[in-house]
Amino acid sequence: MTAAGVQSSPPGAVPARLADRPAVASLRLAWLYLVSRRIPAALGLLAGLGALLWAALHWRWNISGGLAAQQLIPLTIETGSAAVIAVTTHGPFGGPERATGRWLPWLRLAAAVALTAAAFGALAAGAAGGVLPGGTLALLRNLTGMTGTGLLSAAVLGGAFGWTGPMAYWLATESVLAAGWTTPWIWPARPPHDRGAAICAALVFAAGIAAGTLLGARDAGRRSAPD
Amino acid sequence: MTAATDAPVRHRSPRAGGAVTLTAARLLRIELRRSAMPWIFPVIAALFWFDSYRFGAGSPPYWVLRTFWNMGQGRTFLDFAPFVAGVAAWMGSRDGRRGTADLVAGAVWPRWAVQLAAWAAAAIWAVGAYLVFVGVMFAVYARQGLQGSPPWWWVAVGAAAVTAFSAAGFAVGAFFPSRFAAPVAAFGAFLAVIVSDQNGFGDTSGWPLILPTNANGNYQPVSGIFYPYLPDLPIARMMFLAGIAVAALGLLGLPARAGGAWLRRAAAVVTLAGVAAAGTASGLARTAWLTPHGMTIPALHDAANDRPIGYTPVCAQAAGVPVCLNPAYRRYLPEVAADLRPVLAQVAGLSGAPARVAQVAGRYTSGMFENQSDVTVTISGTPPVLRVPLDEFNTLPSATPGSTAQFDQELRLLSVHAFVGAGNGAGTTAQEAVQAALLQHAGLPFATQLQALTIFGLPSWGQEYLQGLVPASAPCCGPGTSPGGPVYAAARRFAALPAAARHAWLATHLAALRSGQLTLGQLP
Repeated sequence: MTAAGVQSSPPGAVPARLADRPAVASLRLAWLYLVSRRIPAALGLLAGLGALLWAALHWRWNISGGLAAQQLIPLTIETGSAAVIAVTTHGPFGGPERATGRWLPWLRLAAAVALTAAAFGALAAGAAGGVLPGGTLALLRNLTGMTGTGLLSAAVLGGAFGWTGPMAYWLATESVLAAGWTTPWIWPARPPHDRGAAICAALVFAAGIAAGTLLGARDAGRRSAPD
Repeated sequence: MTAATDAPVRHRSPRAGGAVTLTAARLLRIELRRSAMPWIFPVIAALFWFDSYRFGAGSPPYWVLRTFWNMGQGRTFLDFAPFVAGVAAWMGSRDGRRGTADLVAGAVWPRWAVQLAAWAAAAIWAVGAYLVFVGVMFAVYARQGLQGSPPWWWVAVGAAAVTAFSAAGFAVGAFFPSRFAAPVAAFGAFLAVIVSDQNGFGDTSGWPLILPTNANGNYQPVSGIFYPYLPDLPIARMMFLAGIAVAALGLLGLPARAGGAWLRRAAAVVTLAGVAAAGTASGLARTAWLTPHGMTIPALHDAANDRPIGYTPVCAQAAGVPVCLNPAYRRYLPEVAADLRPVLAQVAGLSGAPARVAQVAGRYTSGMFENQSDVTVTISGTPPVLRVPLDEFNTLPSATPGSTAQFDQELRLLSVHAFVGAGNGAGTTAQEAVQAALLQHAGLPFATQLQALTIFGLPSWGQEYLQGLVPASAPCCGPGTSPGGPVYAAARRFAALPAAARHAWLATHLAALRSGQLTLGQLP
């Protein structure tokens, strides 16, 4: 038996001097946070959803039915993007990370905003494949609002279940579209330039960002959630 | 030397079998306590109230109508399926996410058995919640005094669908252990249901019938009132969904680390059995054909289900003529009698006038009742009976205030149309004119008749008749359209006669009018 190697640093570790530099330390912290939240994988999924939207619009995938049916595939893809963003809030470390992570709220905020922007970019690029109902303005409104529902459900139910908010909202939207209701709280049912719908979506997004930043996802914080 | 070869073969004692059962029960109990499924019930409950319950609340008070959206079109199941699939995927990915797959592979129980216990816990929670939610909704309906009988077969199909999606979601999580497995399974489930449902929406034959969200041709308004709900299609659907569940669970036992060779062979057999069951059910659905009271699958059909449900009619008098309805429609009896009173009063004593009004079951030959545009009120028999299929009326009043107006108009319009003998067409111009005059004196002024003829679901002759009542030069038929033209002029002349004169003219000319021999110029 030998103790050789016990003192050596693990592969890929940053030398102490380099790590002491604030910029490098910040970058390393951000990278570790991104990896712990599986954000690289999430970016891949968002890119895939953008490609799916491009294919759906380019080859005019459609299903029979009325207004709800025509918007079904684009809205499902937008909802899926929001769900992916919400699921990234799931953290594996729980209390220790909260106790020691001074920058955690800022990291959560930055990650949520950056992922929403990335999702919008991916879907807007996908929308170039054809004619997106409502255009990019409606895309931005729908995506941000649904992301807000995801972040709120992550704060209440846990990051692993953050997808339930966008899914529940989308199911309710589908019924409302079929019934012809036009409440601004169901913003996908309103025209892209509708101010009330935009305000409602923005409010939900702001509430989601605030909850995600200050409280974090349920399983990343004080309270336990099922695993 | 080995001790094993010399040792006698030991048979499992009854006590050992009991211990296995006890251990399995303990494992299931632990999984039930650790399952994440209950965490999403508040979300499902809110959605269930908003989507499944609230959207059907405005329908007329019949089980088959009130539950058309949530059971016939499967909204209760759709409100559950994505969430159940997602959470089951989360449970199925547990070992993979935690990196404990190798650890549990060396446990006493085969990995497949442990996975089945985790799935069973998730499925028990999900199906239990589904049954509780539906039970509460049905209890509320029962308190509201709905008529007919609840669609129990569709409840069973929903439970089977929830089970199937929990199994499919669990398999997704087990094979792709990631935090993203849950949303992928949930959105996959949603897309699978909604896209297949929408694309198969208009089909009354073929594979779309196997979908639990397809109400086309198998959820008729006569179900549970005049005839039992036909269980043929629900049985095929349960078989299909059970097959999917069994196949998904069998797939879990195929990987090398799931268990020993015999266990994997058993899993392969289970998977094939599941695929065979689903395929057989799909094949059975292709043999289904539409009967007047639902879809029939010859291989599954029980002739006893074709027998009508017996009942003693409830009756009232309208201008001396008995009006009798199915007791399930008792609440509409005063309305129907009041609507028909002015019509029957005008034709009383005429040869061929109805001696009785009876409700009959509607006949559905082309799919869903929303698309049914052939409401047929007829007069037949000796003595003549006015036969009214109330269930075919799209305008059947609900609890919404003011919802009776269109029903009143439609019932009078169709009854007078049957009386003048116009049949399934608009009739001759003379018949149209007499019809308009009789309706004028039955409380339906000429201008109102134009509105009544635009009621959704009226027979196709409605448009033709409508065009006969407006001037040829006038645009037909906006809100401001006024009646005009030769038919209208003749109708006004006839309507202007005293009641006794109209009655006397009808007594003389009714047979000729009904046979289509009269022209517009022969009207007084």
